[in-house]
Amino acid sequence: MTHPEISFPSSKLLLIAALLLPLVVILMIDLRTGSSGRMPRRTETCQGAVSEGVIISREQLAEFLTISERDPRTRVEEVLKAPYCQLPGLSVRAGATAERLVYPLAFDPKTWLIVLYEEDEYAGYRFLIQ
Amino acid sequence: MQFSGWLGKGGMIAGIVFLNSACSAQYPTEPPRTVQIQQAWQLQPGDTIGGHQVVAGLGDISIDLKGDGAYAPFGGQVQPLKPDVKNCVVFSSPEIPAYLFRLCGLQNLKLGEVEQGDVIGSGAYLHFATLRKQTDGTWAMVEPAHDILERILRSL
Repeated sequence: MTHPEISFPSSKLLLIAALLLPLVVILMIDLRTGSSGRMPRRTETCQGAVSEGVIISREQLAEFLTISERDPRTRVEEVLKAPYCQLPGLSVRAGATAERLVYPLAFDPKTWLIVLYEEDEYAGYRFLIQ
Repeated sequence: MQFSGWLGKGGMIAGIVFLNSACSAQYPTEPPRTVQIQQAWQLQPGDTIGGHQVVAGLGDISIDLKGDGAYAPFGGQVQPLKPDVKNCVVFSSPEIPAYLFRLCGLQNLKLGEVEQGDVIGSGAYLHFATLRKQTDGTWAMVEPAHDILERILRSL
């Protein structure tokens, strides 16, 4: 029994490929620009109690920024007081548990000041933009 | 039929050229980050000794990755290192103040902003170091804890 050959003109095949290829490229570009240059979404959420209305002023922030990494945490607590909330505890370095406290900025509430403590020591800060 | 043949070939060539330029397109190159390490050890990753390259140094934990991916443990940023160390990048996250993570040995690197779970790169081995900010602005190599490394090795 002979199987009928399905013959497809190779020139037609080339034409189709030529038309489809730029489309594939466009799709690839869209996907790549979609994923680059985008601020990472906040992944961590407050753990436990949230103190609504806690914000820090420009003056508090300015004073806080004069405090060195590895100073006692009490120095920071004097300036910033109680936080808005805490992020989940974490161990970044062996033998130390890191606490991360959140302080939204009064003049820019979408920006959070994140302060990291290890035991009695202030370790550092970052700004997290929502 | 001759005409459509040439059109097809021309279209394919154009498509391939377009594809090539799009893939190596001018996405803004991520500027390198200067990281001053507190411990001034003589041999660092990237150094050459006896005609061979140093790929990991004191303070690195080497993981047998076997070609698997290394994942961003949190949303953050992947930057090349300055001074330039081949195949090493620094990962930092606004959710982890005071710390940087050096990842060496990865290929197919994704530089710039990354989401939690994004593949930073992949490779045969991952050489991982944790750095903590010091008062004088330098970064000290410290002993890594499990948490972060678990997240980097496992797709959550």
